[in-house]
Amino acid sequence: MAEAVAPQVFTRRASGLVRVMSPYSAFIYNVLTMGIIFPWTYVWAPTALEGSNLVLGILFAFLFELPIALAYVWLATSLPRSGGDYVFQSRVFGGGFGFTVVFAFFVVWILQWVALSGWLLATLGIAPTFIGLGVTTGVGAFTDIGTWAAGTTGIIVISISNALIALVLLVTGFRNYVRFQYVMWYAILISFGIVLLLFLMNDPASATGKLDAFAGEVDGVQGFFATARAAAADAGVNFDPPFWLIGTLLVAPIAWTSLQWATYSSEQGGEIKNAHVFRNQVFIMVGSLALTAGLLILLAVAMQNGIGNEGILVASSGYWLAVPEATIGGNIMFPNMMAMGLTGSWFIVLLIGIGFILNSFQIVCNCYIGTTRIMVAQGLDGLLPDWFARVSPRWKTPVNAHIAYFIAALPVIWAFNYVGDWATKWALGVTFANGAVMTLSALAAALLPYRAKQVYEASPGAKYRLGGVPAVTVIGALGFVFGAFMVGSFLFREELGLAYSVYGWFPYLIVLGTALFGLIVYFVMRQVRAGAGLKVEYAFREIPPE
Amino acid sequence: MPLFSKRPGTKATRIFYACDIHGSEPTYRKFLNAAKFYEVDALVFGGDLMGKLLIPLVRDGGGSWRASLQGQNHHLRGDEQLAEFKRTMQTLGFYWQEMDPEEYASYEGKQERIDELFDVLAKERLGEWIALAEDRLAGTHVNVYLCGGNDDTDEVLSALDEVAGERVVNAENRAVPIDDEHELLTIGYSTPTPWETPRERTDEEIAEVIEKLMPSVADPAKTVFNFHCPPLDSSLDTCLKLDGSVWPPTPLMERGQPVYYGAGSQAVADALASYQPTVGLHGHIHESRGATKYGRSPAFNPGSEYGEGVLRGLIVAIRGGEVVGHQFTSG
Repeated sequence: MAEAVAPQVFTRRASGLVRVMSPYSAFIYNVLTMGIIFPWTYVWAPTALEGSNLVLGILFAFLFELPIALAYVWLATSLPRSGGDYVFQSRVFGGGFGFTVVFAFFVVWILQWVALSGWLLATLGIAPTFIGLGVTTGVGAFTDIGTWAAGTTGIIVISISNALIALVLLVTGFRNYVRFQYVMWYAILISFGIVLLLFLMNDPASATGKLDAFAGEVDGVQGFFATARAAAADAGVNFDPPFWLIGTLLVAPIAWTSLQWATYSSEQGGEIKNAHVFRNQVFIMVGSLALTAGLLILLAVAMQNGIGNEGILVASSGYWLAVPEATIGGNIMFPNMMAMGLTGSWFIVLLIGIGFILNSFQIVCNCYIGTTRIMVAQGLDGLLPDWFARVSPRWKTPVNAHIAYFIAALPVIWAFNYVGDWATKWALGVTFANGAVMTLSALAAALLPYRAKQVYEASPGAKYRLGGVPAVTVIGALGFVFGAFMVGSFLFREELGLAYSVYGWFPYLIVLGTALFGLIVYFVMRQVRAGAGLKVEYAFREIPPE
Repeated sequence: MPLFSKRPGTKATRIFYACDIHGSEPTYRKFLNAAKFYEVDALVFGGDLMGKLLIPLVRDGGGSWRASLQGQNHHLRGDEQLAEFKRTMQTLGFYWQEMDPEEYASYEGKQERIDELFDVLAKERLGEWIALAEDRLAGTHVNVYLCGGNDDTDEVLSALDEVAGERVVNAENRAVPIDDEHELLTIGYSTPTPWETPRERTDEEIAEVIEKLMPSVADPAKTVFNFHCPPLDSSLDTCLKLDGSVWPPTPLMERGQPVYYGAGSQAVADALASYQPTVGLHGHIHESRGATKYGRSPAFNPGSEYGEGVLRGLIVAIRGGEVVGHQFTSG
């Protein structure tokens, strides 16, 4: 019923609401959160799922995430508030469920990402950059710094510094982060572009020679690639595996560990300009997903061109099978490490390194940004002590929540690097836990028209229907099914997530324990509020207008 | 005393507070229903009743109308489409007026006439809301305390002077009892804004109003401050700094980034600090939902999301001049 000409609206002098983060900034935030330069897929999938096709696997991940991202578009335009997943799930499923899932599986488990981002900064950022600089400049001190950064002490010092610097940047004003994000964005694009070009400008034969020379400089070995290939073959790598469709499908959950973060901007929906506008959220979430998936596919193609399938399998054996011969200076052959080996220029090494260092730093920033917004929302709802929700009058940021998160991260950083088998015994739940939150939010989207009718009907997405059913119900249900497949893979496939561990039920119990912890916090806070004659359920329950 | 048991003594008075609903019909209806839903003893409104937009529905002949809403042009055919369109406008808090093309043309570019029409429609809606409140709350012990904010005009607020029912209390610029031991002191002004809204006052003027009204309060410690404007630099008043030299005001940028600042009132902050009331209830800055404290006195801003049909609010339980519990709500 729309047409071209219509009378204008009448306005009067009245105040208005303005928000700080532009849709473009939110788009960048999501791309950076997905970590285009931390492609686990390339070192995990090739030997874990021999015969799988990386390009197709990433494409599957994109297709599986697409309905989830679209479901979030409906949620984010219906409820454009800070606290994202917590707000969505508490409104649709109820406070007990929403709080428990998001507190346990996001707030608690993302502590693991704080530790992991420090590890990434040290081992993918600082260590290879300085080792690369040492090789290209011949300055031994650079190599020493790189080697120190890859050691346990170096990783812990770097991880704590990483978390502390991010804390200072973020508590002194969110706009500091938004400003710095542009620096990170361009540096990372340059770094990624260079890595792509280096792979595209080489072929397997030339790349092998350059990697041999690079490894020779770092480790003093001769014939690095041939030795690494032989060691990988001894470890059981099949260098000519037949195509495996199921394996290719299972690449999707691995690639999803990156692509699932396409919707992370929803955690600060209250700070995004025109967050309630449908096309803005499509751009922010679906746009960032499409771009990142495209870049990941492009990198897979470039790597196949530059180092070939053999090179990819050798690199993967250093990670998945822990073949020591397939590492350089003790570092896994992530794409950036190999790209540094393909150039002889210290300047190019520096540009690649800066991109990786900044993306590692961005990861810890978004750990804080997302979780502190959730904690503030939960504090305001009475499900965490009021202290967490307090915003500093001076800095205008939730300083208490930031400090609490930093302190909580310290033992996790220590354990991540000192406790034996922490990653496989304690920490693998992160793949399941984070994915479960997003899968359940897709289900929340599917149920939104029925469980939060008023909110849904006032939203711009309410006009879209598919065969008489709200479009969000169909898309959300599809997203839930795809998400459940990937989360289920983390639970039950031994190449992925929890089932990978050799510790039997222990990792599952850890996940269950965090959920129980969330539930206990909920019931304690519920009782505390009840002591003052208040019900926390009031925070979420929609009042009927009639 | 057991860890989680209620304190002994008299029953606390439970207040539901909300503000800044800007003409939104479903949000106001939710506000009235909050009495029953949250089982509270009083409904306190913190100002900004009036809507911000008026949509002309221009008759197109043959039972159809043309209108513009949220940047989209609409051609409404038949009563059913018209009724659906009006429901959407009610949710969004907009007013509407059916008019012929000639009448529409007579308004174009004439802001004074448009403002007059706003006042007529807003006063009419406020009158309906008062009647609705009387109807909904009849037979209960719950009073609804209404007042204006900086966005409301005096002409529209004059509807409150005509209140003559049982349950609606005109709280504007006065102290009124809220239970047997507490009073409610209400001031709806705000400090100057870049939007140049109808009821803005300088900080000095707000301080004068507070000082003028305080003697009418029996015990400041047992008084609920219902001040539309939040205290300055309190975290309840954080918003973007805007350039008021252009219309509509746009964010001021500093080194490529928007600037945040506190847009509250120093006079309100001083009053909270010196009089130490039971609690400070504030609104005005929709995006600055939160809580803070001045000495023993907590202060709150529940924020507002009226445009989505969501009623943001706050339940405060008070007893003996103290807040014994609070809960933000989002209904």
